Amino acid sequence: MVSVNRKKTLIMALYAGEIMLKSGAETYRVEDTITRLCKSRNFPYVEAYVTPTGIFVSVDSKGESQDEIVTYIKRIKSRGINLNKVAEVNNFSRRFVESNMPLDEAFATLKAIDNLKPFSQHVDALLGGGLSGAFFALLFGGNLPAFLGAFIAGSIVSYTLSDLAKTEFPPFLSNICGGSVAALVAIILSYISPLINVNLDVDIVITGAIMVMVPGVAITNAVRDSIAGDLVSGLARAAEAIIIATSIAVGVGFILKLWQIVLGGSLL
Amino acid sequence: MMEYITNFIYAYLSTIGFAVLFNVPKSSFIKSGFVGGLSWVIYIFTKNLSGSIVGATFVASLVIAIIGEIFAIIDKNPITVYIIPGIIPLVPGFGLYNTMRSIVDRRFDLAANHGTEALLISVSIAGALVIVLSINSYRRQRQRLKQ
Repeated sequence: MVSVNRKKTLIMALYAGEIMLKSGAETYRVEDTITRLCKSRNFPYVEAYVTPTGIFVSVDSKGESQDEIVTYIKRIKSRGINLNKVAEVNNFSRRFVESNMPLDEAFATLKAIDNLKPFSQHVDALLGGGLSGAFFALLFGGNLPAFLGAFIAGSIVSYTLSDLAKTEFPPFLSNICGGSVAALVAIILSYISPLINVNLDVDIVITGAIMVMVPGVAITNAVRDSIAGDLVSGLARAAEAIIIATSIAVGVGFILKLWQIVLGGSLL
Repeated sequence: MMEYITNFIYAYLSTIGFAVLFNVPKSSFIKSGFVGGLSWVIYIFTKNLSGSIVGATFVASLVIAIIGEIFAIIDKNPITVYIIPGIIPLVPGFGLYNTMRSIVDRRFDLAANHGTEALLISVSIAGALVIVLSINSYRRQRQRLKQ
């Protein structure tokens, strides 16, 4: 009986950590949560080691010499950003530690958090991609046409990315597609805009549109993890950021080069 | 003065856009937007004053971390909810894009310039965040020891 509960507690803590890590929580927060969850159920020895690609947890209980130390490894394959889930798991762990919540209820709560729906695709694209891209264009010194252009391009990029994510398209290729779509829409808009007598800055429209994909958060987190001493996580996140940045640049650069060669357009 | 007000509004709205993309809890939208808008205004103010982009980013990030820490304590949410959308206007996305474009155009001198600046900006954001966060966790540790 005792050993079953032990296993269940460990799996529950691991599940909580997995949700957090997949939703973009920091390394130390995941380690902290797992350790707290296990310690609240009488494991005197808990050691958690978390990297962006996997979680390792070992627990042992004192005095029961017949029980061996238990270790679990969980491989994490995909990571996104969903701060709502991080906040919910954080609340859950606080409730779990402070109360006497049974494990079955804990599992049900975690499953409900894991299945939380993100915002709908249209809200995401129009509010998220469009709005943020458009106001970024203004922050970078764009004018009203650039604002509208970045809104259109940002929304289309967001739609493309979420459609590709649904079919589980490889992330590297989908970032290339996102970058090419951004450049393509900006170039098409730059041909339409003279017809209605406005002057459009292609550069600013592209920058606003790709802001949605740019790995700024990954870079900042990489530096943060490294400074905090989580060197493996820092390097892993830095590698992820470089791969994302490269794929966006390949997409944008390919379309711009094609534009130069085929239609003789130029930016610099 | 007008410049600061319009910039606050732009940064506020673009931060809210990112809050939607990152699925911030709905009750925290307004606060996340406020963190982003205020930090951008402070960034512009410091940049005009000192002329240093990296220094201005550092000061603005310090403010983000302090306000984020306050909101996190009030709402009992992880501080990430306020910090990640808040730092987005400061994050060197434009610099990274310029670096990659310079490489595509085979202008490696420009690429080195843009790349170094983007790296320095990231380091100054992360450094400011880590300073405030470490002080706060140290403070909590001391409180626990006293009890």
